[in-house]
Amino acid sequence: MDFKIRAAKQEDCKEISRMIIELAVFEKMQDQVKISTQELERDGFCSNPRFECQVAEVSEEHKSSQGYTVVGYTLYFYTYSTWMGPTVFMEDLYVMPEYRGKGIGKGLMSKVAQVGKEKQCTRLQLTVLDWNTRSLDFYIMKGARDMTASEGWHALRFDGEALDKLAAEAPKD
Amino acid sequence: MDFSIRAANLEDCKDIARMIMELAEYEKVSEHVKVTQKDLEQDGFSKNPFFHGIVAEVPEAQRTKDGHVKIGYALYFLSYSSWKGRCVYMEDLYVMPEFRGKGIGKALMSKVAQLGMAAGCTQLNFTVLDWNKASLDFYAAQGCSDVTASLGYHVMRCEGAERGEAWPNTIEDRQ
Repeated sequence: MDFKIRAAKQEDCKEISRMIIELAVFEKMQDQVKISTQELERDGFCSNPRFECQVAEVSEEHKSSQGYTVVGYTLYFYTYSTWMGPTVFMEDLYVMPEYRGKGIGKGLMSKVAQVGKEKQCTRLQLTVLDWNTRSLDFYIMKGARDMTASEGWHALRFDGEALDKLAAEAPKD
Repeated sequence: MDFSIRAANLEDCKDIARMIMELAEYEKVSEHVKVTQKDLEQDGFSKNPFFHGIVAEVPEAQRTKDGHVKIGYALYFLSYSSWKGRCVYMEDLYVMPEFRGKGIGKALMSKVAQLGMAAGCTQLNFTVLDWNKASLDFYAAQGCSDVTASLGYHVMRCEGAERGEAWPNTIEDRQ
């Protein structure tokens, strides 16, 4: 099946929002999605975007049963390692179930690696849920190392009231 | 002990580079550090910086035996969650051993949280090694959650070669 990987445009945000929710449903955390299409448009397509996005598109003749031609996406942004320098973090990688196994996921991930290289990045990082063995296997096959399993890295987070409380205790300027 | 927290400037990169090495030695990975003072100056203080820094300073009267007054730092950047929107990621938080237990680490982290929230962020994310009990306890005491332990998130990494060398254009399947 032919497909095209291209940089997302503002008009794609509606499809990206749809697929963000599909991915969250798969990850069994649909209730965690609070972001709106408008926020994606604001944060991804302003003069100083917080993220970049690539989408996978198929031709009209291969559109999904509901008429979608944008069938996959990846959302990523640039980060920094004080050991290695510029890095890229792949926040999401998703292909609609009926389009899997055709190289689209690999195409999207390769695009992120290529774009990262142009920005002098030497590392690509992502997170995967431990029960998602299919995705873990996919990334390991692509050369990723599981830093949690091998070196004991844990992801920690402040949000909600805990973040409010922490910020309120900051010293005055 | 008196200390002040302020935004890092270009001249701080020498001390930040020093403390990055001290932190890497503590984490037992100093041979992995490739970033130099010059890299920090270029990557953090150009038109589109990859990161922001804050430093903790003490008065001259409290300087270390080697004469340092810059005795802690935090390095962070803005990130994004496709579920929650704007986030901030704290890459490093470090206080020199002889200045710990005085609220400096908490002050640095709180400042990152405050700056992040001012930029519209609703999450502060970072990583800690599972054997680093002192740090895990410190963060837990401040109210953070461990999403690896509670939700099963694993950190995955694809690494190219050394900085400045070729990075793969395509992600090929391993044989």
